Amino acid sequence: MAGNNTEEVEGSATTETKGTTNAEVPPEFLIKHPLQNTWSLWFYDNDRNKTWEENLIELTTFDTVEDFWRLYHHIKLPSELRQGHDYAVFKQGIRPMWEDDANKMGGRWLISLEKKQRNSDLDRFWLDVVLLLIGENFDHSEEICGAVVNVRAKLDKIGVWTADTSKQHANIEIGRKIKEQLGIHGKIGFQVHRDTMVKHSSATKNLYTV
Amino acid sequence: MSASPVARQATHSQVIPSRSVLITDPSQMPDVYSSTPGGTVYSTTPGGTRIVYERSFMMALRQSPISQTPPKCALPAALLRNPSSVPNVIHSTAAQKPRSNSISFDESQETFSMDL
Repeated sequence: MAGNNTEEVEGSATTETKGTTNAEVPPEFLIKHPLQNTWSLWFYDNDRNKTWEENLIELTTFDTVEDFWRLYHHIKLPSELRQGHDYAVFKQGIRPMWEDDANKMGGRWLISLEKKQRNSDLDRFWLDVVLLLIGENFDHSEEICGAVVNVRAKLDKIGVWTADTSKQHANIEIGRKIKEQLGIHGKIGFQVHRDTMVKHSSATKNLYTV
Repeated sequence: MSASPVARQATHSQVIPSRSVLITDPSQMPDVYSSTPGGTVYSTTPGGTRIVYERSFMMALRQSPISQTPPKCALPAALLRNPSSVPNVIHSTAAQKPRSNSISFDESQETFSMDL
C-alpha cells in the first residue's frame, strides 16, 4: 500500500514513533473509541455548611471509552464513598437535578439495594448501568438523561433518569434492559420526578413496574 | 478482537434504500468528482448512525494501555481510589521530561515533536 512509500519519504519524522510501536499490541488498543455522547461525571458532597446545589460538583467530562476507564480506574468505587455521597453520570449539559429542563418531565428507574448488597452488588450494578448508558445500549437511548448512585445509611440507590414519563414504550424498554443486564430477579419501579419532589421516595408510587 | 468499533445496532437488518439516477447528458454530472449523481450514499444509512458498544467490547478496552493512564483533570484527593498512586503519577511524568529538551510538551495532548 501507499503507506510504505510515505514512511520512506518521511523517514526522519517517523523514527520516533517507530520505536514505540509494538506489533503485539492489538490495534483496538492504539486508538480511543469515541462515544455517541459526551458525559459529565458529578459528585455530591455532603457538606452541611453548603446548600444542596453547592454540594453538587461537576468533576469532569469524557467522550471516549478509554477516557471513561481512565477516570474509573482512579476514583473510588461507590462502596468506598462516605455515606451521604453520590456519583452521577449525565449527558453533558443536563444537571443531575429534577429542576433541569431535560429532567422536568422525566422520572427514574429505581434500584434499591439492601445494606448487605453494598459489598456484593453496588459497584457491579453501578458499572453496568454506566456502561449501558455510554455504550448507547438502549433502543431508546435518546430518552436517557443520566444515572445517579446514592450511598446511604439505610438503602443505597441507583437511579436511571429518563426524559419523558409519558413515553411508556421507551421507558419500559429501558427498565427491562436494566433488569436483564443487572440480573435482577425482583421487580423494579419507575417513579415520576414530580411525585418524588413532594413525597419521600419510599412513599412514591410507581408509574411503571417491570 | 471480534467486536468492531463501528456502530452496530442490535436490531433486525434493513435493506439499504437506493434509487437510480439516469444521466442523459454530461451537464447532469456533479461539479466535483467526490459527489455521486443524485447525492451521496452516506445520506441513506437506515435509521441514522449511532455509536453503540457492547459491554464485552468496552470491558476488553479496559485493559488498553490508554485506559490505565491517569485522567487529565484534577480530582478531589478524597475521591482518588489509591492516594499512594499520586506520587507515582508525578514520578512517571518527571521521567519523561528530559526527552523533550528545554521545551516542555503537554504529553497528554498527544503532540509530536519536529526535528528542526
